[in-house]
Amino acid sequence: MVQFANVVVYSYQYLLDPKVAGYISKEMQKESVVVFDEAHNIDNVCIEALSVSVRRQTLEGARRNLNKMRQEIEKFKATDAGRLRAEYNRLVEGLAQRGNLPFTDNWLSNPALPDDILKEAVPGNIRRAEHFLHVLRRLVQYLEGRLETDNVEKEGPVGFVASINTHAGIDQKTLKFCYDRLHSLMLTLEITDTDEFLHIQTICDFATLVGTYTRGFSIIIEPFDERMPHIPDPVLQLSCHDASLAIKPVFDRFQSVVITSGTLSPIDLYPRLLNFHPVVSRSFTMSLTRDCICPMVLTRGSDQLPVSTKFDMRSDLGVVRNYGRLLLEMASVVPDGIVCFFVSYSYMDGIVNSWNENGILKEIMQHKLVFIETQDVVETTLALDNYRKACDCGRGAIFFSVARGKVAEGIDFDRHYGRLVIMFGVPFQYTLSKILLARLEYLRDTFQIKEGDFLTFDALRQAAQCVGRVIRSKADYGMMIFADKRYSRHDKRSKLPGWILSHLRDAHLNLSTDMALHIAREFLRKMAQPYDRAGGSGRKTLLSQEDVEKMGDGILNEMQY
Amino acid sequence: MASGHVIKRAKYKTSPKGAGTPGVLKMTENKIMFKPNDPTSASKIDVEFRSIKGYKNTKEGSNNPPLLNLSLEQGGSYIFEFENFLDLQVCREFVGNALTKSGDAAKAKSGDTAKAKSGEAVATSDRSTVTYPDEQLISSAEMELRIKLLRENSELQNLHKKFVLGNILTESEFWATRKKLLDGDSGTKSKQRVGFKSSMILDIKPMTDGRTNKVTFNLTPEIKYQIFALKPAVHRAFLNHVPNKMTEKDFWTKYFRAEYLHSTKNAVAAAAEAAEDEELAIFLKDDDILANAARQKIRRVDPTLDMEADQGDDYMHLPDHGIFRDGSKEITDSQHEQFKRTFLQDLNRQGEVVLEGRTIDVELEDPRTVAEALAQSRQESDENAKQERLDRISRMTEMEDLQAPHDHPLAPLCIKDPRDYFDSQLLKISDDTRAGSEQLRCSLSSEEAYGSLRGSISEIKAMGLSDPVVRPEVAVMVLNGLTQNISSTKFQLGKNAQESILNSLPNTTKEELLHHWISIQELLRHFWSSYPITTSYLYAKVSRVKDAMSKIYPQLEVTNVLLRKNISM
Repeated sequence: MVQFANVVVYSYQYLLDPKVAGYISKEMQKESVVVFDEAHNIDNVCIEALSVSVRRQTLEGARRNLNKMRQEIEKFKATDAGRLRAEYNRLVEGLAQRGNLPFTDNWLSNPALPDDILKEAVPGNIRRAEHFLHVLRRLVQYLEGRLETDNVEKEGPVGFVASINTHAGIDQKTLKFCYDRLHSLMLTLEITDTDEFLHIQTICDFATLVGTYTRGFSIIIEPFDERMPHIPDPVLQLSCHDASLAIKPVFDRFQSVVITSGTLSPIDLYPRLLNFHPVVSRSFTMSLTRDCICPMVLTRGSDQLPVSTKFDMRSDLGVVRNYGRLLLEMASVVPDGIVCFFVSYSYMDGIVNSWNENGILKEIMQHKLVFIETQDVVETTLALDNYRKACDCGRGAIFFSVARGKVAEGIDFDRHYGRLVIMFGVPFQYTLSKILLARLEYLRDTFQIKEGDFLTFDALRQAAQCVGRVIRSKADYGMMIFADKRYSRHDKRSKLPGWILSHLRDAHLNLSTDMALHIAREFLRKMAQPYDRAGGSGRKTLLSQEDVEKMGDGILNEMQY
Repeated sequence: MASGHVIKRAKYKTSPKGAGTPGVLKMTENKIMFKPNDPTSASKIDVEFRSIKGYKNTKEGSNNPPLLNLSLEQGGSYIFEFENFLDLQVCREFVGNALTKSGDAAKAKSGDTAKAKSGEAVATSDRSTVTYPDEQLISSAEMELRIKLLRENSELQNLHKKFVLGNILTESEFWATRKKLLDGDSGTKSKQRVGFKSSMILDIKPMTDGRTNKVTFNLTPEIKYQIFALKPAVHRAFLNHVPNKMTEKDFWTKYFRAEYLHSTKNAVAAAAEAAEDEELAIFLKDDDILANAARQKIRRVDPTLDMEADQGDDYMHLPDHGIFRDGSKEITDSQHEQFKRTFLQDLNRQGEVVLEGRTIDVELEDPRTVAEALAQSRQESDENAKQERLDRISRMTEMEDLQAPHDHPLAPLCIKDPRDYFDSQLLKISDDTRAGSEQLRCSLSSEEAYGSLRGSISEIKAMGLSDPVVRPEVAVMVLNGLTQNISSTKFQLGKNAQESILNSLPNTTKEELLHHWISIQELLRHFWSSYPITTSYLYAKVSRVKDAMSKIYPQLEVTNVLLRKNISM
């Protein structure tokens, strides 16, 4: 199908994840233009694509898979021994010719090790099917042993491979070929139900990645989640720190790759994270007909006390109350829909409960209905549907949502579905996470990106993503409130995308609730007027080709980078 | 349309009830012709507009078919029934224009009817015998009611006189915004059903008396109904168990026991209780009816919102893929999950119920009947959901700014920020006072002032600076003189405008102002209600209204000037 299509739209993972890209994207031509849209999170997708986590369930499942495969092999030995022998012979010649795939199209299926795989043959000790199963069994046993730990352990791939070699007798080269060897075996055994064998595939992914890369990864074993130490849930995670590893094959393979999003900011950080040299790097301003967005930074409540979700302040009752009053006051002046973003589910849960206890929630509900994003997708979808209904019928509603959540990524709150978005706090990642710490360390050592810079960049792109939901077209209008005193600092604020910054006036940088309320009233009154779309004042809403060409000359000067 | 002609399919009738003759209606600038489909039929018409006195038509949305009634000068009338209201609208506009023209010609002769320029409004000077050529067929009862209302309410009468008789609004436009007044008085329309309060679940809260461990819940029929609506499982349990298995009192006791356990957020205790008592468990578990309903509803939601459908794409979050435990992901406690219905879920559910509104219309006294009525209303399902869904998709996928601009004409208003006025007044006043105080204090010529300055400088040179450079009393006096007026006027202008300013005006001026204020309010209501301007009729209305408003402003200015003169005298 892909060969006949002019335009193919799919999820990033189909191109970035080596496990899947091989099946789906192998027929793409070199001349294809690859566009990563909404690419503000592309580094995280790359990292996820090359990360593997192994839990107890995985290992148990892998054992079951191995037993099943052994039975299959026995069956084949009895009925069709020639098949296994043919596979063996093919493996001697080299993995590249396996299956019926043509030689040249094959390499993307495992972009992690394209060169080696073509040159080398599969090591002798795993060419026979039953030998390979033995190796895997030893590997699973070794991993089980590693999971039985009481402490958090962190290791580099090199040390881990050495340890496997001494304890399980599997060398690095063998590990490296696990993924392809398993693939070949499954083809030979005619296993079609790949979902059932997901677990052993995970183990082989893990083995191949560990065997291939000597840097950019770390293996972290945690006996329990730090936030819930009473529940034992050991996990062994192979975590990738280098986003450039997954995207490199895409850059190598395709002639033109475009990375674009409304919130790529600061734009110069992306080439560093993904380790490439952009041919063209441009930041475009928006051609608005009127000043239809109104960003504000709210640093204080009406009582002049600072508001923030900083760790030491977030549970402060004064802050909780000030946030509540802010929403309450806004609910009384803003028509139709309001969207609120919180830094995490647990924070949202906590603050909604305390608003309920001190009666603010009830007051808010006198103005608008409240709907909330939960971790249950069905529930959230229905809540969104009802939210829209409430906005449509004029009752008005508030939607509580979470930064980094699904709603923040995928749902538009344009027009009357969102006249105001409030970002409560700065959505920093959970900084005590071992994986994040390891990644920060790697970024500092390899790309000279400071920890603080990266964390701020990451938090601000999420915040920008959240508030950007509110506007979708020039005919639309909406307000954005960044409710945290930390947004008024230049190092934070300056990382917001240009189209927000250009509308953020100096007078709106350090507001209290009552001042913000005043600005909101003014703004809404101005925006609700009918306006001249044809552009009497020289700015048109719908540009013709001539207009665009004319702008082209001007834009070269306006360009920010 | 004014030039040219209109041809529409229509039925000619002699009375509104009759069957009518199907045929074709053709209207040119000064003639109306009707040709029946059956050429042998006798009902052929060919008259000039001159002989038409006025017309009426039926309202869109009423039960009547689209009828146009043309009344003749010499008595009698022609009634045409159109295929749809759109045709009727077109013909009505045409007839209106044609009548204006022939009316203008006729005016020279008779002069007894005054017709508005657009032909929309025709009114005579005597209100009790008003004829409404433009009027949509209204009953005589309604007419009486209108007259009665006008008589009773002098303010309304003033407005009516000003706008309707002043040809700014038509009779029907004027009353259209006061439908409620008419309905409320006649009392014929059914009352609006009261919806749920937005904060239902928050109202059901336990009370403790502080001394004993007793917890009290107050229960009213209204609350019972709300609980049934919010929680279908409780509703079902009530229908099943009461009164066969337990009394109503026991039922509610048990329910609130469960609620209380839940409110203590002790999932473990709840689980333990539920294990002992099967009926209690119903209240604590997740509502399976809701879960089923959710599965059904999810099929009807707007596809642009459907995140469940996207889940298949997102295989990265399946187990074993990607990073399992990093800082950005959240964690849940999976134990006792089914007893951990969260407050957030309750809020969502309640929003949904509030939106659905009250579905039953029975007395709330007996919970049993309420429960049964509710069960019945749940079974009625909605059919046109599919169409609605399609409509929503097309609405969501349309990008507003990529559409060609709608060619709706625009009638810009001159909107001024009231603060500008106050600020300018403030400035003026403070200027005045400053000027005044300067006059007061230094009625000196510049030479004298210079001399005084030189004098004091030489004095300082000779004696050095005295300890307080300026004496405190003088400093306070100057400061007060400069600031007091500013702050006091600001205070008065900003806050007690009603008391301090309006009451200080002469009574006639005050009444005049209030009258202008009411007029503007009325006009603004009409102005905004005609947006978006889709027809030429609306445009004409908006321009009329706007002109009327702009006339009021100079009047206000005049009042302002007069007032100033009076005050200064």
